[in-house]
Amino acid sequence: MDLSRRRFLQAAVLTAATAGLTAACGGSEPGGSKDSKTLKLWYWAGGMSDKVVADAKKQFSDTTLKTSVIGGDFKTKLLTGLKTAQTAPDITGIKGEDIASFLPNANRFLDLNELGMDKLAPEYLSWKLKQATTQDGKLIGFPIDIGPCAVYYREDLFAKAGLPTDPAKVSSELSTWDAFFEAGVELHKAVPKSFLVNNIGAVFSMAVGQGTKRFIDEDNTFIGDQDHIRAAWTTAVKPYTLGIDAKINDNTWNAAIGNGTVATGLGAAWYALDIQNAAPGTKGKWRVASLPSGPSNLGGSFLCLPSTCANPEKAFEIVSWMLNAENQARGFTDAALFPTTPAAYELPALTGGDAFFGGQKTIEIFGPAAEKIPAAYEAPADAAVSAAYFNELTAIEAKGKDPEDAWKDAVSQAKQIAKRQGVK
Amino acid sequence: MNSQNRKRLRGLSVHAVLMLCVVISVFPFYWIIVMATNTSQDIYRYPPKLWFGDNLLTNIQHLFDKMDFFGSLFNTVIVAVCTTLLVLFFDSLAAFAFAKYDFPAKKFLFGLLLAMYILPTQLAIIPQYEIMIQLGWLGTLQALIVPAAANAFGIFWMRQYTITGVPDELLDAARIDGSGFFRQYWHVVLPCVRPALAFLGIYTFIAAWNDYILPLVMLVNPDELTLQVALAQLYAGHSTDYSMVMAGVLLAVIPLVLVFTFFARGFIADATKGALR
Amino acid sequence: MSSSPVAGPAPTGPSSGPATGSAGQPAPDRPRGPGRPGRRIRPVSSRARHRPRRGIARYWPQFLAVSPYYLIFSVFMLFPMLYTVYLAFQKWDGIGEMEFVGLQQFRFLWDDPVFWLSLRNTLVIWVLSTVPMLFLALVMAVLINSTRRFTAFYRVALFIPSITSLVAIAIFFGAIFSNNFGLINAILQSLNLSAVPWLSNEWTIKLVIAALMTWQWTGYNAIIYLAGLQAIPSELYEAAKMDGAGPVRIFFGITIPLLRPIILFTVVISTVTGLQSFTEPQVLFGSDASTNPNSGGPGQAGLTTLLYFYHQAFDNNDFGYAAAIVWAFFLLILLIVIINWRLVQRKERRP
Repeated sequence: MDLSRRRFLQAAVLTAATAGLTAACGGSEPGGSKDSKTLKLWYWAGGMSDKVVADAKKQFSDTTLKTSVIGGDFKTKLLTGLKTAQTAPDITGIKGEDIASFLPNANRFLDLNELGMDKLAPEYLSWKLKQATTQDGKLIGFPIDIGPCAVYYREDLFAKAGLPTDPAKVSSELSTWDAFFEAGVELHKAVPKSFLVNNIGAVFSMAVGQGTKRFIDEDNTFIGDQDHIRAAWTTAVKPYTLGIDAKINDNTWNAAIGNGTVATGLGAAWYALDIQNAAPGTKGKWRVASLPSGPSNLGGSFLCLPSTCANPEKAFEIVSWMLNAENQARGFTDAALFPTTPAAYELPALTGGDAFFGGQKTIEIFGPAAEKIPAAYEAPADAAVSAAYFNELTAIEAKGKDPEDAWKDAVSQAKQIAKRQGVK
Repeated sequence: MNSQNRKRLRGLSVHAVLMLCVVISVFPFYWIIVMATNTSQDIYRYPPKLWFGDNLLTNIQHLFDKMDFFGSLFNTVIVAVCTTLLVLFFDSLAAFAFAKYDFPAKKFLFGLLLAMYILPTQLAIIPQYEIMIQLGWLGTLQALIVPAAANAFGIFWMRQYTITGVPDELLDAARIDGSGFFRQYWHVVLPCVRPALAFLGIYTFIAAWNDYILPLVMLVNPDELTLQVALAQLYAGHSTDYSMVMAGVLLAVIPLVLVFTFFARGFIADATKGALR
Repeated sequence: MSSSPVAGPAPTGPSSGPATGSAGQPAPDRPRGPGRPGRRIRPVSSRARHRPRRGIARYWPQFLAVSPYYLIFSVFMLFPMLYTVYLAFQKWDGIGEMEFVGLQQFRFLWDDPVFWLSLRNTLVIWVLSTVPMLFLALVMAVLINSTRRFTAFYRVALFIPSITSLVAIAIFFGAIFSNNFGLINAILQSLNLSAVPWLSNEWTIKLVIAALMTWQWTGYNAIIYLAGLQAIPSELYEAAKMDGAGPVRIFFGITIPLLRPIILFTVVISTVTGLQSFTEPQVLFGSDASTNPNSGGPGQAGLTTLLYFYHQAFDNNDFGYAAAIVWAFFLLILLIVIINWRLVQRKERRP
C-alpha cells in the first residue's frame, strides 16, 4: 500500500491533462462529427431487421451508417440523447406506444412530407401514418411495422384439453372473450399446471385496443373513467377470478412460455419473436388464431429523423429504402416485424408457412386483422395515464387486492396523472 | 477437565456460527461461478446443478456477442482511475491547507464541507443533467469524473491524518529552508500521508467502479456505458440466458474482489478507524 | 443504496460524521491540549521577506489549494441543489418553456397515493433490513471478539459483500429468487414445500430487497462494532466479573452503553443509505420494461421513493414534480435522522 510520490504526481498531471483534453474534444465534437457523410442510427434489439440494416450499410457505401442498438429503456435514452446535437442520432426508432408523447415536440423532428413522404404515403397504411402526424399535418415518423394482435396458443396443450386445435376452428369457436376464458377453464382442468393468460394486464391492453377510444379524447379530456375502459377492465379481471391467470409479471415469463405454464400468449405480430427467443425448444407446438372479440393493435414502431440530422435527404433515402415493401418482407422473416405497406403482404416471405408455427401461414390471421384495426386517437399523455391501470391490475395479482377497489384507485390515480400532464 | 471441555465446545460453536456467516457472505460468489460455468438449461433444471460446469467459455463468447465487454471495462477503468487520481490530488492538497494553515473563512468553508455529508446526491441530479447538456458533456465520461472529483469525505479524512501524521517540525524546517506552500506539500506532506492516500484511493476507486445512478442518467450510447449500467441492461434484455448474464457478472465482479482481498487488512483497519472518529 | 462517491457518506467507506467525535481522535475544531501549541502558523518571517503581500492575497496558496473542491462543488452540487428547489415550483418537461405553478406540485404530491405508497415501501424495506442487519452485526461482533483465532480471516470475508457491486448482487438475487427456476424455490421444492412467487408478491418483494441489503451491510457493521468492542478496556469486564455479574448483565450493563456512540453512527448511516434504496428495485424489475418500466415490480411493491423520483424525472419528464418529490423526501430523511439522534442522545443522558 505504498504510492511513490513522483509516480503519483505524474499520474495526477496526466489525468488532469487527459480530462482537460477529453473535455476540449468533447466540447468541439459537435462541429467535428456532424459531417454529412456519417449518419447515426439508433434502434433497440429487435426493432429493425439486423440483416436489412447491414445491407443498407453496403447499399449506401458513400455514407457511413453508424448503428447503435440501445439497451435499457429506449424512450428515456432517446429523450436524453435528443437533448444535444452532438449526442442525438440522425435516424432513430420510436416505439408505437411512445410516438404520441413526442408529437407535442414535433419541432424536434423533420417533417417527412417535405422530404418526399407525401409521394410515398399512398403505399403505406393510412391509419398508421396518422399516428405519427401532428394536428397541423406534420409527419414525423416512417412506419416500420404494425402490431396486429392475435392469440398465440400451444396446440399440444389445447389437444390435451380436448379443445379445438386448428387455427381456423379456434378463431371461429373462441371468437369472444367469454368463450376464450371458458376454454381456459377447461384447459386448466385438464392440464392443472397450465394457465390461459400470463397476466391480466395483457388482456386489458388488448381489450382497450379493440375500441375506438382510449384514455383521453381529441379535446384533451380524460375519459378513462367511462364505460369503454370499464368494460375492458371487467374483461381483464375475468381470468383472474376464474383462476386461469398465471399472474406472471416478471422475467419468469421466459421460463413459463417454455415449460407450458402459460398456454396462450396475447400479442402483436412481433410477439412471435419474443416466443421464439424465450422458448426455442417449443418449435412447432405453437399456432396463431384471431383475437377474441375483434382485432387490436399493439405497438408498431417508426423511424424518425431528429431535426439535428446531418443529412436529411440522404437519411430519408436510406430510411425509405430500408422500409420498402421488399425489405419489410425481410423484416417480417428476420424480426417478426409486420409490414406497414400492403404491397408486402403479397410477397412469398409473408404468404409462406412458418416452421415455428407448424408451417401455418400466419398471414391468414394477421392480414385480415391488419385491415380491420380500429383507429383510435392516442393522446400524448396516454401512456403515462394508462400506467395507473396496469399498476393496479398487477396489484390485484400481487396482493390479492379487491378488483373493485383497484378500479377506483386506478381511476383516481389516472385522473391525477392526467391533471399533472395538463389534461382536462 | 470438565470445564475445559465445555470451554472448548463453546469455542467450537462460536467458530461454527461464524463460519456459517462467512459461508453466507461468500456463497453468492460461489453460486455466480456455478451459474456462469453451466448452461442456462442446467440452471433451470430441477434439481439444479450444484457444482462448476465446463461451459464458461461458451457463455463468455455469448456475452461478447451481446455486449461490448471490453469497451465497458475500459470506460469503467478510465472513470475509476481518473476519479481516484483527481480526488487524491485535490483532497490531499486541500486537507493540507485545512490542517496546517489559518486563512480567512476557513471555519466557514470547513463547516460547509461537513454539512455536505447528509445531502443526498439525488437532490442535485436533475440540474446536474441539464448542466452536462449545456457543457456538451452528456454521454461522455467526464460527466462522471468531474462531479465525483469533489469528495468531501476525502478532504475530511486526509485532514484528520495530516494533523497528526505530518510533524510540524518537518514543516518548520522546510519553511526555514524557504519552501513555500506547494513545495512543502510536495516534499513534506505527500511522503507523510501515503498510507492515508492508499486507503482513500482504494475507497474512491471502489465507489467509482460500482457507481450506478450517475452513469445511468448521463450515459446513452452502448459504446460509452460503464460496466454497471451495461450489466443491468444485459440483465433487463436477456434475462432468459442466466448463464450468459452471470458470466458477465463474474467478469465484472471478481477482479475487484480479488484486488480488494489483497489490500483488505489495511483497508478494513482504516475503514473502521474512520468510523470510530 | 447507491454508493455514489460524490458526497455524503457512502456506506462502504469510513465515514466520520461530525457527531461521532468521541472515540479516541481529537475532534476537528476543538482546542488542542497544552502540549501542542497552535501550530497552524502561516509562514511568517522567511516568506514575508521575499514577497510582501497584504490582506487576503497573502493566503493565495491556501485558497488555491482548497479551490478545486469548492469550485466543482459549487457548480455540480450546491447550485444544482438550489436549482432543484426552484424547479419544484415549476412545471417543466425538460424541452419546452418552464411555467411557474407555485405550490401546485406539492399539492399534487400530497394527493398522490403512489407517492405515499413509495414512502411506505421505502420505510418498510428500511425497517426490514436495518433491524436484523444491526442486530446480527452486533451478535457477530461479540462472537468474533470472544475468540482469538481466524479473526483476520473473518474480518475480510465478512467485509467483502460491502465492496461488491450492487448491480451484480441485484442480478444475483433476481436469479436465485426467481419464481420458476430460482435456487431458493428449488431448495423449497426439495424440502417438499411449495414454491413461493418471491418476485410477484407484495411482501416477498420487500423481503427480497431487504435481504439483499442485509446481506450486503451486516458484515460491514459487524466489523465497525468489533472495533468498538476492542476499544473497551478489559479491566471493566474484569471488575464486573469480580462483582459477580453474569455475561448477560455485562453485555447490557457495560458493552451496550459503551458502544452507544458507535451504534448511533451505524444507525445514522444505515438510515441515510437504507432510505435511499434505488438500484435494487431498479435492476431487479428493470426487465418488465414492456409495459411499465421503473414501476418497482408487481403491485409497485418495490417502488421506493427514489425510484419513483427517477421514473417521474427521466421516464415521464415531469421534472418539476420530480424535484418536489426529492425535496420532500430529503426533508423526511432529515426528520428521521434527527429523531434517531434525539432518541439515542436522551438515553445517553439518563444514567
